[in-house]
Amino acid sequence: MIRRRRKPLRISGIAAQCAMILAALVMLAPIVWMISTSLKPEGTVLSAQPHWIPRPFTLDSFTGLFTQTQDFPVVRWLLNSLFVSLSVTVLVLFVTSTAAYAFARLEFKGRELLFMVVVATMIIPSQVTLIPVFLIVQKLGWFNTYFGLIVPCLAGAFGVFLLRQFFLSIPVELEEAAHVDGAGPLTIYWRVVVPLAKPALATLAIFTFIGSWNDFVWPLIITNDVSMRTLPIGIMIFQGRYTLEYGLTMAAAVVCTLPVIAAFLIFQKRITEGIATTGIKQ
Amino acid sequence: MGRKRTRWAILFLLPYGILFSVFVVAPMLYGLFISLHKWYILAPHPTFVGFRNYSAILGDDLFRAAFWQTAYFVALVVPTGNALSMLFAIGLNQNYRGTTVYKVAYYLPVVMSVSVVAILWRWLYSAEFGLLNYYLGESGRTLHRLAPGVVGGAWKIPWLTNSRSAMPAIALLSIWWGAGGTMLVYLAGLKNIPRELLEAAEIDGASPFRRFWCVTWPLLRPTTLFCLVMSVIASSQVFGQTYILTGGGPHFSTLTVILYMYQQGFGLYQLGYAAAVGYVLFAAVLAFTILQFRLLQVRQ
Repeated sequence: MIRRRRKPLRISGIAAQCAMILAALVMLAPIVWMISTSLKPEGTVLSAQPHWIPRPFTLDSFTGLFTQTQDFPVVRWLLNSLFVSLSVTVLVLFVTSTAAYAFARLEFKGRELLFMVVVATMIIPSQVTLIPVFLIVQKLGWFNTYFGLIVPCLAGAFGVFLLRQFFLSIPVELEEAAHVDGAGPLTIYWRVVVPLAKPALATLAIFTFIGSWNDFVWPLIITNDVSMRTLPIGIMIFQGRYTLEYGLTMAAAVVCTLPVIAAFLIFQKRITEGIATTGIKQ
Repeated sequence: MGRKRTRWAILFLLPYGILFSVFVVAPMLYGLFISLHKWYILAPHPTFVGFRNYSAILGDDLFRAAFWQTAYFVALVVPTGNALSMLFAIGLNQNYRGTTVYKVAYYLPVVMSVSVVAILWRWLYSAEFGLLNYYLGESGRTLHRLAPGVVGGAWKIPWLTNSRSAMPAIALLSIWWGAGGTMLVYLAGLKNIPRELLEAAEIDGASPFRRFWCVTWPLLRPTTLFCLVMSVIASSQVFGQTYILTGGGPHFSTLTVILYMYQQGFGLYQLGYAAAVGYVLFAAVLAFTILQFRLLQVRQ
């Protein structure tokens, strides 16, 4: 436990807190403005003086967004994004946790070296290999498919690194006890390690979900059919058509942001502490 | 026993191993192979050209422009962004009342997609009805009222449509977007500094500034180095912001390397050339990273 002593009030402390409040307002202002604009009638959006509180308040932009379905299948994009992000999250948890378990607990030749190689690839930005990955996925026949959107996103080394570190911190005695009771590695992994690693798995899950939901470059190049787009690409196409209908485009932006903001606020503690312990941003 | 364990290890490693080989290792090697070819996507066969793609890149005026624009972007974003992140972290580390609320407010932009951020800032940057120009104009008018001779009338910046302001505008929104992520890393670094050291300095009568400069700053150095390196790597890959907001314009003033790679690869279908562009950028960033380590690493 960290002792928190209330500090005596000082002028410098008050000034610092005022600065922090001001900074918080500035950082939040664009997001508040986005939500505010999305709740205004289109006719009042473009005004010489900004009104922060929408008057009258309306959901027209949102209904408009979901009814313009011919050219812009917003619902389909939303479902695509949900399906892709959830699939990526579940599959990442599976493939990285099994690999991390092998690296942490199962002995084999060249284990440390192989792990080093996997971790070393984390410094290579994904953009560098964008073209070859695209060609490989195209050769697999996965252009414009969910496979193409999902499978290449499972190979990142971050999860392996994170989970291996966590598995190493679990007392080995528990697994040894299970081993003495006759359990094989698969049972130990599933019945002992996975339940104990729930906090780390949850952290990885939330990072993976947000990262996949927000991903822009990969879905941009691996799909070109409008019905295969994910929401971030979709809303970009959408705003290209409705350049000046800011009420509509902000509604689109809000729809694309709400799931991640909700996920973030629910798991706020886990996210901020997850970064603190791993030192790695999304 | 040993062989049995090895067999289990292979089984556990298999799913990730396949993915890692196909989508991480193979692309790195395959990319090098592609970059040595004239790889036009519609042509039946790629032709081997050796290092000619690389030599062409070094003589390519547009690539050179993109390279320096990217360097300009990195120079705008990394020092300012890191200073802001560090300031936020120092503020949070004081444990004032409401720290969690501040933390959430500073971090919230990070969880947004680049396309949301771009669409939102295009609205904020709108020349006639944008929020920024409105408040800028208001401050201009207020200043004008206070000191009529000094400043003239309403201020207005053609943020994204002027080749001089476009890149700083892209940098500004990128700083807003990313500051919270780096902030958390700095905060973790600050939490690792023993409180006793700062308290001892305080008892000895050191001012807050001196306490920061003589205790916090040197002890935070590994964190600072890490954050700078990661920020340079991340910001040199800038793509979404310029792709959505400016397409590289006006007059190539926001053409960045990855955007150029995208245009070459998926606009002109010159995949060999585009792959080579990726490797040239990677080599440049790697060299700069090594340089940063040499210059900033704690000497022992």
